[in-house]
Amino acid sequence: MSFCLEQHLQQSEDYKILIKNTGFKEAKKVIEKHSSKKVYVNAGEKILGARIIGIPPIPIGINDDESKVTLPYTKPCHGTAVVEIPLEKDEIEKIKSSAIKD
Amino acid sequence: MKKALILLGCPEAPSQTPLAVYTTYKLKEIGYEVTVASTPSAMKLLEVSDPESFYVTNKVDIESCLDNLKEKEYDLLFGFVHKDAATAYFVTFYHILNTKSVALVFEKDIELLEKFIKDVQENTDSEIISARAYHNPTPLRVKVDRYIESLED
Repeated sequence: MSFCLEQHLQQSEDYKILIKNTGFKEAKKVIEKHSSKKVYVNAGEKILGARIIGIPPIPIGINDDESKVTLPYTKPCHGTAVVEIPLEKDEIEKIKSSAIKD
Repeated sequence: MKKALILLGCPEAPSQTPLAVYTTYKLKEIGYEVTVASTPSAMKLLEVSDPESFYVTNKVDIESCLDNLKEKEYDLLFGFVHKDAATAYFVTFYHILNTKSVALVFEKDIELLEKFIKDVQENTDSEIISARAYHNPTPLRVKVDRYIESLED
């Protein structure tokens, strides 16, 4: 079964919030600073079972060594958060294949 | 019949609900079938404001709408932009739909208003209607009227 970001954030504590209730541009800076390796995707791209929200190009931090990704998570009333989540290698590869640029 | 999607943001801006009902009414007057996408709390405000769904007949949850959205599914995207997150949602809907779009940008803080306008301008080719507004919907209503009149031409 594919990984579902919404479900993971609701049902697991296995994630880290790097920043929350912030603006999208600030969240983008946090991801770019936190992650040595990044890929960029289009707004609305389906990533981990949900459409990614933001101003493109949207960065997703990739940590291949620790098998983790860092991505923005936006809700209408709560602004944007940046979450780091552990992920199987094949799910990381799916994200890489959605990239519009490295 | 042409289809319009009205995209609402967080319902904490007092002008949003009356303007959503009003814009729905005006777009229906010129022949659009209108769907309003919103958070559950914004939808509850609409349901209380329009209890018999006289004006707002089609309502959809913003997340399920986004999940199922397809390019050109609507002929017009009409987005309410009054928070940073609303800008991010509007830009995302704009890029998926790739259709005629207008952002109704409003805020009481002039610096935030200018920031939201700039974010929409730099990341879309959408038209922008804007006003410094919060409680009083009139400055925005006047601009909505003008925009909708322009759609009739």
